[in-house]
Amino acid sequence: MSSLMGVRPTKGYLMDLKRRIGFIERGCEFLKLKRDHLAKELTASLEVLRGRRKLLLENLREAYRALTAAYISLGPTEVKSQARSIRRSLELEVLPRSVMGVRYPYVKILRKPRIEGELDITLSHAAEKVLSILEELIQLAEFEARAERIADELGKTNRKVNALENTIIPSYRRVIKFIQDKLDEESLEELVRMKLIGGALARRRA
Amino acid sequence: MSPGLPYVVIRSHALIADLLTPEQIRVLAEAKSVEAFIERLSETPYGSVSVEADGDVSIALEKVFYRKFIERMARVVDIAPRNISDFLQTYYYMRFEVLNLKRILRGKFSGIPASQIVDSLIPIEPYLVEDFRALAEAETLEETVERLEGTAYSALSASIELCKQYDACWPLELGLNHIYAATILRSMGRLHHQDRILVRRIVEFETDVENFLIAVKQRRTENASEIQNLEDLFPTTYGIRLDKIREVFGAGFDEARDVMRIIESLGPPYSEVLAPLYEGDVALIRTRVRRHIYRTARLGRLANDFGFNVIMAYLVFCEMEKDDLVGIAWGKAQGVPSEDILKYLVCLTPLDLLD
Repeated sequence: MSSLMGVRPTKGYLMDLKRRIGFIERGCEFLKLKRDHLAKELTASLEVLRGRRKLLLENLREAYRALTAAYISLGPTEVKSQARSIRRSLELEVLPRSVMGVRYPYVKILRKPRIEGELDITLSHAAEKVLSILEELIQLAEFEARAERIADELGKTNRKVNALENTIIPSYRRVIKFIQDKLDEESLEELVRMKLIGGALARRRA
Repeated sequence: MSPGLPYVVIRSHALIADLLTPEQIRVLAEAKSVEAFIERLSETPYGSVSVEADGDVSIALEKVFYRKFIERMARVVDIAPRNISDFLQTYYYMRFEVLNLKRILRGKFSGIPASQIVDSLIPIEPYLVEDFRALAEAETLEETVERLEGTAYSALSASIELCKQYDACWPLELGLNHIYAATILRSMGRLHHQDRILVRRIVEFETDVENFLIAVKQRRTENASEIQNLEDLFPTTYGIRLDKIREVFGAGFDEARDVMRIIESLGPPYSEVLAPLYEGDVALIRTRVRRHIYRTARLGRLANDFGFNVIMAYLVFCEMEKDDLVGIAWGKAQGVPSEDILKYLVCLTPLDLLD
Protein backbone atom coordinates (compact mmCIF):
# COMPACT_ATOMS: atom_id res chain seq x y z
CA MET A 1 0.00 0.00 0.00
CA SER A 2 2.18 2.72 -1.36
CA SER A 3 -0.21 5.58 -0.44
CA LEU A 4 0.28 4.66 3.22
CA MET A 5 4.05 4.79 3.10
CA GLY A 6 5.45 7.57 5.23
CA VAL A 7 2.11 8.20 6.96
CA ARG A 8 2.52 9.34 10.55
CA PRO A 9 -0.11 7.47 12.60
CA THR A 10 -0.57 10.28 15.13
CA LYS A 11 -3.69 11.87 16.50
CA GLY A 12 -2.54 15.32 15.33
CA TYR A 13 -2.07 14.05 11.79
CA LEU A 14 -5.47 12.30 11.92
CA MET A 15 -7.15 15.52 12.98
CA ASP A 16 -5.34 17.39 10.23
CA LEU A 17 -6.44 14.81 7.66
CA LYS A 18 -10.05 14.96 8.87
CA ARG A 19 -10.01 18.73 8.54
CA ARG A 20 -8.55 18.44 5.03
CA ILE A 21 -11.04 15.81 3.87
CA GLY A 22 -13.89 17.96 5.18
CA PHE A 23 -12.54 20.84 3.12
CA ILE A 24 -12.10 18.65 0.02
CA GLU A 25 -15.62 17.24 0.33
CA ARG A 26 -17.05 20.73 0.60
CA GLY A 27 -15.00 21.78 -2.45
CA CYS A 28 -16.26 18.73 -4.30
CA GLU A 29 -19.85 19.68 -3.48
CA PHE A 30 -19.21 23.17 -4.85
CA LEU A 31 -17.64 21.75 -7.99
CA LYS A 32 -20.67 19.51 -8.44
CA LEU A 33 -22.91 22.53 -8.13
CA LYS A 34 -20.75 24.37 -10.68
CA ARG A 35 -20.85 21.38 -13.00
CA ASP A 36 -24.63 21.17 -12.84
CA HIS A 37 -24.97 24.90 -13.43
CA LEU A 38 -22.55 24.83 -16.39
CA ALA A 39 -24.37 21.82 -17.87
CA LYS A 40 -27.65 23.72 -17.58
CA GLU A 41 -26.08 26.81 -19.21
CA LEU A 42 -24.60 24.70 -21.99
CA THR A 43 -27.88 22.95 -22.77
CA ALA A 44 -29.68 26.30 -22.93
CA SER A 45 -26.91 27.84 -25.06
CA LEU A 46 -26.92 24.94 -27.50
CA GLU A 47 -30.67 25.21 -27.97
CA VAL A 48 -30.42 28.95 -28.66
CA LEU A 49 -27.43 28.38 -30.94
CA ARG A 50 -29.26 25.79 -33.00
CA GLY A 51 -32.22 28.14 -33.54
CA ARG A 52 -30.12 31.20 -34.30
CA ARG A 53 -27.77 29.35 -36.60
CA LYS A 54 -30.65 28.01 -38.68
CA LEU A 55 -32.11 31.50 -39.07
CA LEU A 56 -28.78 33.07 -39.80
CA LEU A 57 -27.81 30.45 -42.36
CA GLU A 58 -30.81 31.36 -44.50
CA ASN A 59 -29.96 35.09 -44.30
CA LEU A 60 -26.30 34.34 -44.98
CA ARG A 61 -27.23 32.32 -48.04
CA GLU A 62 -29.22 35.28 -49.33
CA ALA A 63 -26.37 37.73 -48.64
CA TYR A 64 -23.88 35.40 -50.30
CA ARG A 65 -26.14 35.10 -53.36
CA ALA A 66 -26.31 38.92 -53.62
CA LEU A 67 -22.53 39.21 -53.23
CA THR A 68 -21.91 36.51 -55.84
CA ALA A 69 -24.23 38.32 -58.24
CA ALA A 70 -22.34 41.59 -57.64
CA TYR A 71 -18.99 39.92 -58.33
CA ILE A 72 -20.27 38.26 -61.52
CA SER A 73 -21.85 41.51 -62.76
CA LEU A 74 -19.02 43.91 -61.91
CA GLY A 75 -15.91 41.72 -61.92
CA PRO A 76 -13.60 41.09 -58.94
CA THR A 77 -11.29 44.11 -59.41
CA GLU A 78 -14.14 46.59 -59.61
CA VAL A 79 -15.80 45.08 -56.53
CA LYS A 80 -12.54 45.30 -54.59
CA SER A 81 -11.95 48.87 -55.74
CA GLN A 82 -15.46 49.92 -54.67
CA ALA A 83 -15.25 48.07 -51.39
CA ARG A 84 -12.02 49.91 -50.58
CA SER A 85 -13.74 53.25 -51.12
CA ILE A 86 -15.69 52.79 -47.90
CA ARG A 87 -13.99 55.16 -45.54
CA ARG A 88 -15.95 54.46 -42.41
CA SER A 89 -15.24 50.85 -41.66
CA LEU A 90 -16.58 48.49 -39.02
CA GLU A 91 -15.23 49.15 -35.54
CA LEU A 92 -15.58 46.63 -32.76
CA GLU A 93 -14.54 46.39 -29.14
CA VAL A 94 -14.02 43.00 -27.57
CA LEU A 95 -14.68 42.97 -23.83
CA PRO A 96 -14.46 40.08 -21.35
CA ARG A 97 -17.59 38.71 -19.65
CA SER A 98 -17.93 35.81 -17.25
CA VAL A 99 -20.43 33.14 -16.26
CA MET A 100 -19.54 30.96 -13.23
CA GLY A 101 -15.97 32.17 -13.55
CA VAL A 102 -15.81 31.21 -17.24
CA ARG A 103 -14.56 34.18 -19.26
CA TYR A 104 -15.86 34.65 -22.77
CA PRO A 105 -15.57 37.54 -25.26
CA TYR A 106 -18.38 40.06 -25.58
CA VAL A 107 -18.28 42.03 -28.83
CA LYS A 108 -19.55 45.58 -28.85
CA ILE A 109 -20.17 47.28 -32.22
CA LEU A 110 -18.81 50.82 -31.96
CA ARG A 111 -19.37 51.90 -35.55
CA LYS A 112 -20.95 50.34 -38.59
CA PRO A 113 -19.59 51.03 -42.08
CA ARG A 114 -21.39 53.69 -44.12
CA ILE A 115 -22.07 52.02 -47.42
CA GLU A 116 -24.91 54.07 -48.83
CA GLY A 117 -24.00 56.23 -51.78
CA GLU A 118 -20.49 54.96 -52.35
CA LEU A 119 -21.10 51.59 -53.97
CA ASP A 120 -22.64 50.49 -57.21
CA ILE A 121 -26.29 49.59 -56.66
CA THR A 122 -25.56 45.87 -57.12
CA LEU A 123 -22.79 45.89 -54.56
CA SER A 124 -24.70 48.24 -52.30
CA HIS A 125 -27.60 45.74 -52.26
CA ALA A 126 -25.22 42.92 -51.30
CA ALA A 127 -23.51 45.07 -48.66
CA GLU A 128 -26.87 46.02 -47.13
CA LYS A 129 -27.75 42.35 -46.82
CA VAL A 130 -24.42 41.57 -45.15
CA LEU A 131 -24.75 44.55 -42.83
CA SER A 132 -28.29 43.60 -41.84
CA ILE A 133 -27.03 40.28 -40.48
CA LEU A 134 -23.73 41.58 -39.17
CA GLU A 135 -24.99 42.17 -35.64
CA GLU A 136 -26.63 38.76 -35.61
CA LEU A 137 -23.47 37.18 -36.99
CA ILE A 138 -21.32 38.78 -34.30
CA GLN A 139 -23.78 37.75 -31.58
CA LEU A 140 -23.74 34.19 -32.88
CA ALA A 141 -19.94 34.15 -32.88
CA GLU A 142 -20.01 35.46 -29.32
CA PHE A 143 -22.54 32.79 -28.34
CA GLU A 144 -20.48 30.08 -29.98
CA ALA A 145 -17.35 31.19 -28.16
CA ARG A 146 -19.36 31.25 -24.91
CA ALA A 147 -20.77 27.74 -25.47
CA GLU A 148 -17.34 26.45 -26.43
CA ARG A 149 -15.71 27.85 -23.30
CA ILE A 150 -18.54 26.63 -21.07
CA ALA A 151 -18.20 23.15 -22.59
CA ASP A 152 -14.46 23.31 -22.04
CA GLU A 153 -14.90 24.37 -18.43
CA LEU A 154 -17.60 21.74 -17.91
CA GLY A 155 -15.16 19.08 -19.08
CA LYS A 156 -12.48 20.38 -16.70
CA THR A 157 -14.90 20.58 -13.75
CA ASN A 158 -16.17 17.09 -14.46
CA ARG A 159 -12.65 15.74 -14.50
CA LYS A 160 -11.92 17.49 -11.19
CA VAL A 161 -15.10 16.10 -9.57
CA ASN A 162 -14.29 12.60 -10.81
CA ALA A 163 -10.72 12.85 -9.59
CA LEU A 164 -11.89 14.03 -6.17
CA GLU A 165 -14.70 11.47 -5.86
CA ASN A 166 -12.87 8.47 -7.23
CA THR A 167 -9.25 9.02 -6.30
CA ILE A 168 -8.44 11.76 -3.82
CA ILE A 169 -11.29 11.36 -1.30
CA PRO A 170 -11.06 7.50 -1.20
CA SER A 171 -7.28 7.70 -0.73
CA TYR A 172 -7.74 10.16 2.16
CA ARG A 173 -10.37 7.83 3.66
CA ARG A 174 -7.97 4.91 3.37
CA VAL A 175 -5.24 6.88 5.16
CA ILE A 176 -7.67 8.01 7.87
CA LYS A 177 -8.88 4.44 8.34
CA PHE A 178 -5.30 3.21 8.48
CA ILE A 179 -4.36 5.81 11.13
CA GLN A 180 -7.54 5.15 13.10
CA ASP A 181 -6.86 1.40 13.06
CA LYS A 182 -3.29 2.07 14.05
CA LEU A 183 -4.34 4.37 16.91
CA ASP A 184 -7.00 1.89 18.09
CA GLU A 185 -4.43 -0.87 18.06
CA GLU A 186 -1.99 1.32 19.98
CA SER A 187 -4.62 2.28 22.58
CA LEU A 188 -5.60 -1.39 22.98
CA GLU A 189 -1.96 -2.29 23.49
CA GLU A 190 -1.72 0.55 25.96
CA LEU A 191 -4.78 -0.69 27.84
CA VAL A 192 -3.46 -4.23 28.01
CA ARG A 193 -0.10 -2.93 29.18
CA MET A 194 -1.79 -0.80 31.83
CA LYS A 195 -3.87 -3.78 32.96
CA LEU A 196 -0.78 -5.99 33.18
CA ILE A 197 1.14 -3.31 35.09
CA GLY A 198 -1.84 -2.71 37.37
CA GLY A 199 -2.15 -6.50 38.02
CA ALA A 200 1.60 -6.77 38.78
CA LEU A 201 1.47 -3.82 41.19
CA ALA A 202 -1.56 -5.29 42.99
CA ARG A 203 0.19 -8.65 43.32
CA ARG A 204 3.31 -6.97 44.77
CA ARG A 205 1.21 -5.03 47.31
CA ALA A 206 -0.53 -8.20 48.33
CA MET B 1 -3.05 54.33 -93.93
CA SER B 2 -6.44 52.66 -93.63
CA PRO B 3 -7.38 50.12 -96.28
CA GLY B 4 -10.85 51.76 -96.30
CA LEU B 5 -14.24 51.25 -94.70
CA PRO B 6 -15.33 48.25 -96.82
CA TYR B 7 -12.25 46.32 -95.75
CA VAL B 8 -12.81 47.07 -92.05
CA VAL B 9 -16.47 46.13 -92.35
CA ILE B 10 -15.67 42.81 -94.03
CA ARG B 11 -12.94 42.20 -91.47
CA SER B 12 -15.40 42.93 -88.66
CA HIS B 13 -17.88 40.44 -90.13
CA ALA B 14 -15.12 37.85 -90.13
CA LEU B 15 -14.06 38.75 -86.60
CA ILE B 16 -17.65 38.47 -85.33
CA ALA B 17 -17.62 34.90 -86.58
CA ASP B 18 -14.52 34.33 -84.42
CA LEU B 19 -16.29 35.33 -81.21
CA LEU B 20 -17.42 32.64 -78.79
CA THR B 21 -20.79 31.13 -79.63
CA PRO B 22 -23.54 30.96 -76.97
CA GLU B 23 -22.91 27.22 -76.81
CA GLN B 24 -19.20 27.77 -76.12
CA ILE B 25 -20.04 30.30 -73.39
CA ARG B 26 -22.43 27.79 -71.83
CA VAL B 27 -19.81 25.04 -71.94
CA LEU B 28 -17.32 27.36 -70.23
CA ALA B 29 -19.87 28.38 -67.58
CA GLU B 30 -20.64 24.73 -66.90
CA ALA B 31 -16.98 23.80 -66.28
CA LYS B 32 -16.56 21.99 -62.98
CA SER B 33 -13.67 24.10 -61.74
CA VAL B 34 -11.50 27.02 -62.71
CA GLU B 35 -8.88 24.56 -64.00
CA ALA B 36 -11.50 22.92 -66.22
CA PHE B 37 -12.57 26.41 -67.34
CA ILE B 38 -8.99 27.28 -68.37
CA GLU B 39 -8.69 23.94 -70.15
CA ARG B 40 -11.94 24.48 -72.06
CA LEU B 41 -10.87 28.06 -72.83
CA SER B 42 -7.73 26.70 -74.50
CA GLU B 43 -9.97 25.03 -77.09
CA THR B 44 -11.37 28.45 -78.12
CA PRO B 45 -9.69 31.35 -79.99
CA TYR B 46 -8.35 32.50 -76.59
CA GLY B 47 -5.90 29.60 -76.66
CA SER B 48 -3.99 28.46 -73.60
CA VAL B 49 -3.91 30.95 -70.76
CA SER B 50 -1.27 30.81 -68.05
CA VAL B 51 -1.96 32.30 -64.65
CA GLU B 52 0.30 32.54 -61.64
CA ALA B 53 -0.39 29.77 -59.18
CA ASP B 54 0.14 31.87 -56.07
CA GLY B 55 -2.05 34.86 -56.98
CA ASP B 56 -5.80 35.35 -57.31
CA VAL B 57 -6.73 33.30 -60.38
CA SER B 58 -9.91 35.24 -61.13
CA ILE B 59 -8.10 38.60 -61.10
CA ALA B 60 -5.31 37.21 -63.30
CA LEU B 61 -7.92 35.89 -65.74
CA GLU B 62 -9.77 39.22 -65.64
CA LYS B 63 -6.56 40.95 -66.76
CA VAL B 64 -6.14 38.37 -69.55
CA PHE B 65 -9.67 39.06 -70.83
CA TYR B 66 -9.18 42.83 -70.65
CA ARG B 67 -5.92 42.53 -72.58
CA LYS B 68 -7.60 40.37 -75.21
CA PHE B 69 -10.40 42.92 -75.58
CA ILE B 70 -7.96 45.84 -75.85
CA GLU B 71 -5.95 43.87 -78.42
CA ARG B 72 -9.10 43.21 -80.50
CA MET B 73 -10.13 46.86 -80.24
CA ALA B 74 -6.65 48.09 -81.20
CA ARG B 75 -6.68 45.80 -84.23
CA VAL B 76 -9.90 47.41 -85.48
CA VAL B 77 -8.74 50.94 -84.59
CA ASP B 78 -5.51 50.38 -86.56
CA ILE B 79 -7.26 49.54 -89.80
CA ALA B 80 -10.33 51.81 -89.51
CA PRO B 81 -10.63 55.05 -91.50
CA ARG B 82 -9.36 58.08 -89.58
CA ASN B 83 -12.75 59.47 -88.49
CA ILE B 84 -13.94 56.07 -87.17
CA SER B 85 -10.58 55.27 -85.65
CA ASP B 86 -10.53 58.59 -83.74
CA PHE B 87 -14.03 58.03 -82.48
CA LEU B 88 -13.41 54.43 -81.40
CA GLN B 89 -10.26 55.44 -79.56
CA THR B 90 -12.16 58.09 -77.66
CA TYR B 91 -15.08 55.72 -77.01
CA TYR B 92 -13.10 52.80 -75.67
CA TYR B 93 -9.81 54.21 -74.40
CA MET B 94 -11.64 56.98 -72.58
CA ARG B 95 -14.16 54.46 -71.21
CA PHE B 96 -11.37 52.44 -69.60
CA GLU B 97 -9.51 55.55 -68.59
CA VAL B 98 -12.63 56.78 -66.79
CA LEU B 99 -12.88 53.42 -65.02
CA ASN B 100 -9.24 53.73 -63.95
CA LEU B 101 -9.77 57.33 -62.82
CA LYS B 102 -12.75 56.23 -60.71
CA ARG B 103 -10.55 53.59 -59.06
CA ILE B 104 -7.82 56.15 -58.40
CA LEU B 105 -10.27 58.69 -56.96
CA ARG B 106 -11.90 56.05 -54.76
CA GLY B 107 -8.49 54.96 -53.55
CA LYS B 108 -7.44 58.52 -52.75
CA PHE B 109 -10.78 59.21 -51.05
CA SER B 110 -10.39 56.24 -48.71
CA GLY B 111 -6.62 56.75 -48.34
CA ILE B 112 -5.37 53.38 -49.52
CA PRO B 113 -1.70 53.04 -50.58
CA ALA B 114 -0.80 54.10 -54.13
CA SER B 115 0.62 50.64 -54.92
CA GLN B 116 -2.75 49.03 -54.18
CA ILE B 117 -4.51 51.60 -56.36
CA VAL B 118 -2.12 50.97 -59.26
CA ASP B 119 -2.62 47.20 -58.91
CA SER B 120 -6.36 47.61 -59.35
CA LEU B 121 -6.09 49.50 -62.65
CA ILE B 122 -7.08 48.13 -66.03
CA PRO B 123 -3.87 47.42 -67.98
CA ILE B 124 -4.12 50.23 -70.57
CA GLU B 125 -1.87 53.11 -71.51
CA PRO B 126 -3.18 56.52 -70.38
CA TYR B 127 -5.25 58.16 -73.10
CA LEU B 128 -6.09 61.74 -72.10
CA VAL B 129 -4.15 61.90 -68.84
CA GLU B 130 -0.39 61.71 -68.60
CA ASP B 131 0.28 59.07 -66.01
CA PHE B 132 -2.00 56.98 -63.83
CA ARG B 133 0.76 56.31 -61.30
CA ALA B 134 1.39 60.03 -60.80
CA LEU B 135 -2.31 60.53 -60.09
CA ALA B 136 -2.37 57.62 -57.66
CA GLU B 137 0.72 58.95 -55.88
CA ALA B 138 -0.79 62.39 -55.20
CA GLU B 139 -0.92 63.22 -51.50
CA THR B 140 -4.65 63.96 -51.34
CA LEU B 141 -7.82 63.58 -53.34
CA GLU B 142 -7.80 67.33 -54.04
CA GLU B 143 -4.27 67.07 -55.40
CA THR B 144 -5.29 64.23 -57.72
CA VAL B 145 -8.14 66.36 -59.07
CA GLU B 146 -5.75 69.33 -59.40
CA ARG B 147 -3.39 67.15 -61.46
CA LEU B 148 -6.26 66.59 -63.90
CA GLU B 149 -6.34 70.32 -64.69
CA GLY B 150 -5.55 70.95 -68.32
CA THR B 151 -6.95 67.56 -69.42
CA ALA B 152 -10.43 66.67 -70.64
CA TYR B 153 -11.29 66.00 -67.00
CA SER B 154 -10.61 69.51 -65.68
CA ALA B 155 -14.35 70.01 -65.13
CA LEU B 156 -14.03 67.57 -62.24
CA SER B 157 -12.74 70.39 -60.04
CA ALA B 158 -16.37 71.60 -59.85
CA SER B 159 -17.40 68.27 -58.31
CA ILE B 160 -14.74 68.34 -55.60
CA GLU B 161 -16.81 70.86 -53.62
CA LEU B 162 -19.83 68.56 -53.76
CA CYS B 163 -17.55 65.74 -52.75
CA LYS B 164 -16.51 67.66 -49.62
CA GLN B 165 -20.07 68.82 -48.95
CA TYR B 166 -21.46 65.25 -48.89
CA ASP B 167 -18.24 63.69 -47.58
CA ALA B 168 -18.48 61.15 -50.38
CA CYS B 169 -16.74 60.18 -53.59
CA TRP B 170 -19.81 59.64 -55.74
CA PRO B 171 -20.11 63.28 -57.00
CA LEU B 172 -16.70 62.83 -58.63
CA GLU B 173 -17.73 59.52 -60.19
CA LEU B 174 -20.93 61.09 -61.44
CA GLY B 175 -18.89 64.00 -62.83
CA LEU B 176 -16.67 61.52 -64.71
CA ASN B 177 -19.76 59.80 -66.19
CA HIS B 178 -21.01 63.11 -67.52
CA ILE B 179 -17.61 64.16 -68.90
CA TYR B 180 -17.40 60.80 -70.66
CA ALA B 181 -20.91 61.02 -72.13
CA ALA B 182 -20.41 64.64 -73.25
CA THR B 183 -17.01 63.86 -74.84
CA ILE B 184 -18.35 60.83 -76.70
CA LEU B 185 -21.37 62.70 -77.99
CA ARG B 186 -19.07 65.53 -79.09
CA SER B 187 -16.60 63.21 -80.78
CA MET B 188 -19.46 61.64 -82.73
CA GLY B 189 -19.27 64.75 -84.93
CA ARG B 190 -16.54 62.94 -86.87
CA LEU B 191 -18.93 60.14 -87.79
CA HIS B 192 -21.44 60.07 -90.62
CA HIS B 193 -24.81 61.20 -89.26
CA GLN B 194 -26.37 57.77 -89.95
CA ASP B 195 -23.63 56.13 -87.89
CA ARG B 196 -24.24 58.36 -84.90
CA ILE B 197 -27.65 56.88 -84.15
CA LEU B 198 -26.31 53.63 -82.70
CA VAL B 199 -23.65 55.31 -80.55
CA ARG B 200 -26.10 57.94 -79.34
CA ARG B 201 -28.59 55.22 -78.34
CA ILE B 202 -25.96 53.33 -76.35
CA VAL B 203 -24.33 56.31 -74.62
CA GLU B 204 -27.57 58.05 -73.76
CA PHE B 205 -29.11 54.87 -72.46
CA GLU B 206 -26.08 54.12 -70.25
CA THR B 207 -26.03 57.69 -68.88
CA ASP B 208 -29.76 57.63 -68.15
CA VAL B 209 -29.57 54.35 -66.27
CA GLU B 210 -26.52 55.50 -64.27
CA ASN B 211 -28.29 58.76 -63.36
CA PHE B 212 -31.37 56.90 -62.21
CA LEU B 213 -29.41 54.36 -60.18
CA ILE B 214 -27.40 57.10 -58.48
CA ALA B 215 -30.62 58.93 -57.65
CA VAL B 216 -32.13 55.76 -56.13
CA LYS B 217 -28.98 55.18 -54.06
CA GLN B 218 -28.63 58.76 -52.93
CA ARG B 219 -32.19 59.16 -51.75
CA ARG B 220 -31.45 56.54 -49.09
CA THR B 221 -28.49 58.43 -47.65
CA GLU B 222 -28.61 60.54 -44.50
CA ASN B 223 -27.97 63.73 -46.44
CA ALA B 224 -30.52 63.04 -49.22
CA SER B 225 -32.67 65.93 -47.98
CA GLU B 226 -29.69 68.30 -48.35
CA ILE B 227 -29.33 67.50 -52.03
CA GLN B 228 -30.98 70.46 -53.70
CA ASN B 229 -28.85 71.30 -56.70
CA LEU B 230 -29.86 68.38 -58.90
CA GLU B 231 -29.00 70.38 -62.03
CA ASP B 232 -25.35 70.47 -60.90
CA LEU B 233 -25.29 66.81 -60.03
CA PHE B 234 -27.09 65.64 -63.15
CA PRO B 235 -26.07 68.15 -65.83
CA THR B 236 -26.76 65.67 -68.64
CA THR B 237 -30.03 63.75 -68.92
CA TYR B 238 -31.61 62.16 -71.97
CA GLY B 239 -34.47 59.64 -71.94
CA ILE B 240 -34.89 59.91 -68.15
CA ARG B 241 -35.45 63.61 -67.60
CA LEU B 242 -34.43 65.57 -64.54
CA ASP B 243 -38.04 65.76 -63.31
CA LYS B 244 -38.07 61.96 -63.02
CA ILE B 245 -34.80 62.09 -61.07
CA ARG B 246 -36.40 64.73 -58.86
CA GLU B 247 -39.37 62.42 -58.35
CA VAL B 248 -37.01 59.69 -57.15
CA PHE B 249 -35.50 62.05 -54.57
CA GLY B 250 -38.99 63.05 -53.47
CA ALA B 251 -40.30 59.47 -53.21
CA GLY B 252 -42.11 58.68 -49.95
CA PHE B 253 -41.27 56.26 -47.20
CA ASP B 254 -42.73 53.32 -49.07
CA GLU B 255 -39.74 53.36 -51.33
CA ALA B 256 -40.33 50.09 -53.18
CA ARG B 257 -43.87 51.09 -54.22
CA ASP B 258 -42.92 54.68 -55.11
CA VAL B 259 -39.85 53.65 -57.08
CA MET B 260 -41.90 50.97 -58.84
CA ARG B 261 -44.44 53.61 -59.88
CA ILE B 262 -41.70 55.92 -61.21
CA ILE B 263 -39.94 53.07 -63.05
CA GLU B 264 -43.18 51.94 -64.66
CA SER B 265 -43.86 55.50 -65.80
CA LEU B 266 -40.50 55.57 -67.64
CA GLY B 267 -41.74 53.05 -70.22
CA PRO B 268 -39.55 50.65 -72.19
CA PRO B 269 -36.65 50.00 -72.29
CA TYR B 270 -36.06 51.65 -68.88
CA SER B 271 -39.05 50.07 -67.13
CA GLU B 272 -37.87 46.61 -68.16
CA VAL B 273 -34.19 47.18 -67.37
CA LEU B 274 -34.78 48.83 -63.99
CA ALA B 275 -37.55 46.46 -62.85
CA PRO B 276 -35.14 44.33 -60.70
CA LEU B 277 -34.92 47.36 -58.37
CA TYR B 278 -38.31 46.42 -56.94
CA GLU B 279 -38.34 42.77 -58.01
CA GLY B 280 -35.39 41.91 -55.75
CA ASP B 281 -32.39 40.65 -57.74
CA VAL B 282 -30.71 44.03 -58.24
CA ALA B 283 -27.67 42.51 -59.98
CA LEU B 284 -29.93 41.70 -62.92
CA ILE B 285 -30.05 45.45 -63.73
CA ARG B 286 -26.45 45.34 -64.94
CA THR B 287 -27.19 42.19 -66.94
CA ARG B 288 -30.26 43.78 -68.49
CA VAL B 289 -28.36 46.99 -69.30
CA ARG B 290 -25.68 44.99 -71.07
CA ARG B 291 -28.28 42.80 -72.76
CA HIS B 292 -30.08 45.94 -74.02
CA ILE B 293 -26.82 47.35 -75.41
CA TYR B 294 -26.07 43.98 -76.99
CA ARG B 295 -29.51 43.97 -78.62
CA THR B 296 -29.13 47.62 -79.72
CA ALA B 297 -25.80 46.81 -81.38
CA ARG B 298 -27.35 43.77 -83.03
CA LEU B 299 -30.26 45.86 -84.37
CA GLY B 300 -27.84 48.57 -85.51
CA ARG B 301 -25.92 45.95 -87.42
CA LEU B 302 -29.11 44.67 -89.04
CA ALA B 303 -30.08 48.21 -90.05
CA ASN B 304 -26.73 48.76 -91.78
CA ASP B 305 -24.82 45.56 -92.40
CA PHE B 306 -22.20 47.27 -94.59
CA GLY B 307 -21.07 50.24 -92.55
CA PHE B 308 -19.84 51.55 -89.20
CA ASN B 309 -22.56 49.71 -87.27
CA VAL B 310 -20.87 46.38 -87.99
CA ILE B 311 -17.60 47.64 -86.51
CA MET B 312 -19.41 49.02 -83.47
CA ALA B 313 -21.42 45.81 -83.09
CA TYR B 314 -18.23 43.74 -83.18
CA LEU B 315 -16.65 45.80 -80.43
CA VAL B 316 -19.84 45.74 -78.33
CA PHE B 317 -20.03 41.94 -78.69
CA CYS B 318 -16.35 41.69 -77.75
CA GLU B 319 -16.93 43.75 -74.63
CA MET B 320 -19.94 41.66 -73.61
CA GLU B 321 -17.93 38.49 -74.15
CA LYS B 322 -15.15 39.88 -71.98
CA ASP B 323 -17.61 40.78 -69.20
CA ASP B 324 -19.22 37.35 -69.36
CA LEU B 325 -15.85 35.60 -69.21
CA VAL B 326 -14.75 37.73 -66.24
CA GLY B 327 -17.94 36.73 -64.40
CA ILE B 328 -17.57 33.05 -65.27
CA ALA B 329 -13.89 33.02 -64.23
CA TRP B 330 -14.71 34.52 -60.84
CA GLY B 331 -17.66 32.17 -60.37
CA LYS B 332 -15.56 29.13 -61.22
CA ALA B 333 -12.72 30.23 -58.93
CA GLN B 334 -15.25 30.53 -56.10
CA GLY B 335 -17.10 27.31 -56.89
CA VAL B 336 -20.39 29.08 -57.66
CA PRO B 337 -22.94 26.69 -59.20
CA SER B 338 -23.33 27.09 -62.98
CA GLU B 339 -27.03 28.01 -62.79
CA ASP B 340 -26.17 30.98 -60.55
CA ILE B 341 -23.63 32.20 -63.12
CA LEU B 342 -25.71 31.59 -66.23
CA LYS B 343 -28.51 33.98 -65.30
CA TYR B 344 -26.11 36.97 -65.25
CA LEU B 345 -24.56 36.25 -68.64
CA VAL B 346 -25.41 38.18 -71.78
CA CYS B 347 -23.85 36.26 -74.65
CA LEU B 348 -25.95 33.14 -74.04
CA THR B 349 -28.74 34.23 -76.33
CA PRO B 350 -28.07 33.42 -79.99
CA LEU B 351 -27.84 36.66 -81.99
CA ASP B 352 -30.76 35.78 -84.27
CA LEU B 353 -33.07 35.38 -81.25
CA LEU B 354 -32.42 38.92 -80.06
CA ASP B 355 -34.24 40.59 -82.92
